[in-house]
Amino acid sequence: MGLWEAFLNWLRSLFFKQEMELSLIGLQNAGKTSLVNVVATGGYSEDMIPTVGFNMRKVTKGNVTIKLWDLGGQPRFRSMWERYCRAVSAIVYVVDAADSDNLSISKSELHDLLSKPSLNGIPLLVLGNKIDKPGALSKQSLTDQMDLKAISDREVCCFMISCKNSTNIDSVIDWLVKHSKSKS
Amino acid sequence: MAQPLVKKDDDRDDEAEYSPFLGIEKGAVLQEARVFNDPQLDARRCSQVITKLLYLLNQGETFTKVEATEVFFAVTKLFQSRDIGLRRMVYLMIKELSPSADEVIIVTSSLMKDMNSKTDMYRANAIRVLCRITDGTLLTQIERYLKQAIVDKNPVVASAALVSGIHLLQTNPEIVKRWSNEVQEAVQSRAALVQFHALGLLHQIRQNDRLAVSKLVTSLTRGTVRSPLAQCLLIRYTTQVIRESGINTQTGDRPFYDFLESCLRHKAEMVIFEAARAITELNGVTSRELTPAITVLQLFLSSSKPVLRFAAVRTLNKVAMTHPMAVTNCNIDMESLISDQNRSIATLAITTLLKTGNESSVDRLMKQITNFMSDIADEFKIVVVEAIRSLCLKFPLKYRSLMNFLSNILREEGGFEYKKAIVDSIVILIRDIPDAKESGLLHLCEFIEDCEFTYLSTQILHFLGIEGPKTADPSKYIRYIYNRVHLENATVRAAAVSTLAKFGALVDSLKPRIFVLLRRCVYDSDDEVRDRATLYLNTLGGDGAVVETDKDVKEFLFGSLDIPLGNLETSLKHYEPSEERFDINSVPKEVKSQPLAEKKATGKKPTGLGAPPSGPVSTVDAYEKLLSSIPEFSDFGKLFKSSAPVELTEAETEYAVNAVKHIFDRHVVFQYNCTNTIPEQLLENVTVIVDASEAEEFSEALTKPLRSLPYDSPGQTFVAFEKPDGVPAVGKFSNMLRFIVKEVDTSTGEAEDDGVEDEYQLEELDVVAADYMMKVGVSNFRNAWESIGEDFERVDEYGLGPRESLTEAVSAVISLLGMQPCEGTEVVPNNSRSHTCLLSGLFIGNVKVLVRLQFGIDGPKEVAMKLIVRSEDESVSDMIHEIVASG
Repeated sequence: MGLWEAFLNWLRSLFFKQEMELSLIGLQNAGKTSLVNVVATGGYSEDMIPTVGFNMRKVTKGNVTIKLWDLGGQPRFRSMWERYCRAVSAIVYVVDAADSDNLSISKSELHDLLSKPSLNGIPLLVLGNKIDKPGALSKQSLTDQMDLKAISDREVCCFMISCKNSTNIDSVIDWLVKHSKSKS
Repeated sequence: MAQPLVKKDDDRDDEAEYSPFLGIEKGAVLQEARVFNDPQLDARRCSQVITKLLYLLNQGETFTKVEATEVFFAVTKLFQSRDIGLRRMVYLMIKELSPSADEVIIVTSSLMKDMNSKTDMYRANAIRVLCRITDGTLLTQIERYLKQAIVDKNPVVASAALVSGIHLLQTNPEIVKRWSNEVQEAVQSRAALVQFHALGLLHQIRQNDRLAVSKLVTSLTRGTVRSPLAQCLLIRYTTQVIRESGINTQTGDRPFYDFLESCLRHKAEMVIFEAARAITELNGVTSRELTPAITVLQLFLSSSKPVLRFAAVRTLNKVAMTHPMAVTNCNIDMESLISDQNRSIATLAITTLLKTGNESSVDRLMKQITNFMSDIADEFKIVVVEAIRSLCLKFPLKYRSLMNFLSNILREEGGFEYKKAIVDSIVILIRDIPDAKESGLLHLCEFIEDCEFTYLSTQILHFLGIEGPKTADPSKYIRYIYNRVHLENATVRAAAVSTLAKFGALVDSLKPRIFVLLRRCVYDSDDEVRDRATLYLNTLGGDGAVVETDKDVKEFLFGSLDIPLGNLETSLKHYEPSEERFDINSVPKEVKSQPLAEKKATGKKPTGLGAPPSGPVSTVDAYEKLLSSIPEFSDFGKLFKSSAPVELTEAETEYAVNAVKHIFDRHVVFQYNCTNTIPEQLLENVTVIVDASEAEEFSEALTKPLRSLPYDSPGQTFVAFEKPDGVPAVGKFSNMLRFIVKEVDTSTGEAEDDGVEDEYQLEELDVVAADYMMKVGVSNFRNAWESIGEDFERVDEYGLGPRESLTEAVSAVISLLGMQPCEGTEVVPNNSRSHTCLLSGLFIGNVKVLVRLQFGIDGPKEVAMKLIVRSEDESVSDMIHEIVASG
């Protein structure tokens, strides 16, 4: 039966191939590029260099092709985030859950961004990364500290993940894939 | 990065012969650029839109900041496409838009990815774009990749990296210099383009190190360069090395000449030409060296390729200026080029023939030139005009046909530079060929009747004013000049008024009529024109009395100003309106020619070596002010001249002292600028004890000590001498610095009360004849020479003994006399065997002196000199000879 199901899925994917576009943003060193690597290849590397500008990646999951705009998180790029978030299927905002010092900056950057009229109604997925580290926040306190409850004009979802241990990556992909279906 | 052809698309329109971009508009194209944001990209369409954008940019269309930013970010989204053609367009677009640095950085990461891509095209072009947008910090990050790229096996990638290196060398030289090894490897590349670019970069890296360039050339001329382009480059570098190294004195051989000569047998034409040109441009090339180069150029003259014919004839044209005999062999080939379809080639051929030809062929050549003058560009017309001018000076008997030719082309259409060349030529011919004067002046008169260039009109009017009154019938020019007063702008009108006045002053018979005309000018609408007319009427006696104009008035109105205009300008700027009138005699007459030396002095030690705190603006003014502020010197009269500072101590000694010699009519004042370089000392009561036992004509008049000389703040002490009035007494003075030293506690800066007397030996100071000579230039040496007359002319000949070169001998005599070289005659042309140098100056007592020096050099560097002095005073003329005889 499972085989049959898989076959049907495959068949469906041939006819109903779907595309979605995502923007990956968040402060520097939050783990955006690592997340792209984990989603795309499942590989993880400790040794990453800061993204200067953006990386464009295409990832296919099931019958969905995901275009990922992985943007640099340094202050000089933040003003340009908005240009790469226009008309995407969803904005993925990555937060370093173990870096409580920068949470307030992260929060204000997020809220600044969402206040742009061009991004009205675009669903938001907030990811608390690095839960493998000691001292990482819980989902509840992250939601509170990021003041996610205040965002009412769009669908908001929050996951706690670890790129290093691939924790919860599957649910992220599921959410994204499902989201692309619901949208189109 | 070539643009892909989008023509196919437009074939559907039936107007294929039009540019596909005809009439596109910026607004519409910017609208189209929205396709860049489509979720489903159409690569082909995007490429077309970028092509249109690039077309607009290249047509000079500008985008506003907002538009450019909008387009730029939209274009960056195209990095998602894997279409190779589109990616190329994206690269191009980023380079062309060149957005601000804080925006363009967004593509860095994508470019770095492409730089390491497997696609060669991506790698090459990403390198080019990245290097264009990068800054120093980023460059260090990508340096590793660039080094790899330089030695990449794909020539396109290697070339891209090398060319980027050439650009980056301007901004980040220290980084690019680290790539030497890789670049050197690339020079050995088999790919022609890589070798070319690598050689260019390697040379640029080393260009400031002459030895390294010389080594580079030496190793490469042994024959590892395969690419013709690189070979051409190598020839250029070789000539540079040749220029700097000079001829081997023992064998008389020129280094690397053999290499250049061997390049004449290269299989690529461009190399042959480059080598031939290099040989013709060698310094002091001999006819033996020239011959092989001329031979290959002659072959090029009959080539079927226009570009080769052009290159050859242009080079031969240049050679003809210096070595006309060497080119005569090519005359037959050149004759056939006169009818060449390409007008530029024909022009150059004719002008070359004009330079090498003989008198009998002039008329025939002139006829041929006239035929195609209207077909060629101004630039070449100027070449023709210059050739005609030199021809006319060479064959003065032919002036009639040549002058006619010049006047004919003067009437035709042409730009300013061209017209100026013609007018200059006519003026020179009028000056040098007396027979040509009348016709030449009339040609010029006709020209100003319809001349659109103010500059030329005023120049011609001025010239008419000088030459016109001397002609047989001056009255015929008046009409042309007076027409200007009616028809032209204010500047020309003012010039015309001056010219009229000159006629009036010099030609008495015309005077009443000129006055009538001048009186009409008094009602002109322009201030300057009215002022001039009034001035002339009053000074020339426009009240009706026809008297011969006073010599003084003439001198006042039309005599040349013997003051450098620059000095007059500064003096006028400093003058403040007050009761006191501006005194033209207060303007310094010294030609200021030492800004370079002064820069050096101040650059060496910013705190100054003691000279008064004068900027380099005007030392003479500063000295004068300084001296007049000292009461003891107030009755010495007007300062005649101040010398440049002479160092009396070695550099880096305890006390730095230099001296300035101030010359007055009956006195000489030495100004000692002292600097104390020891922080622990305070000097007080500083004087210089001068021993004048070797200067018999001088007697010490007074000494003005310096009360205190603290650390590192310069001060001056003065010693004045009396000398016989107006006599250029010379002598040697030995100097001793005497002072009281007090210890200073550097922590508190306080000096002890007790001091010790001490002395410090200084070097000797000479007063030489040149100190009595002021550098005063004359604008027209010939006129000045004539007007000073030969009453007090003194001529003698001197042997100067063996000298290194003529240049050295000339500059030695100039500095001995301390006079101002005129008309650039201090420069000795390379390899000339004789030279005439003109000097002018003002000797103490305001005696004008002019000197004509004729130098000759013979085989064993033995220099002989003929010295002709003219001055306003017999004794001064003799004195100049004495100076030279004793120097």
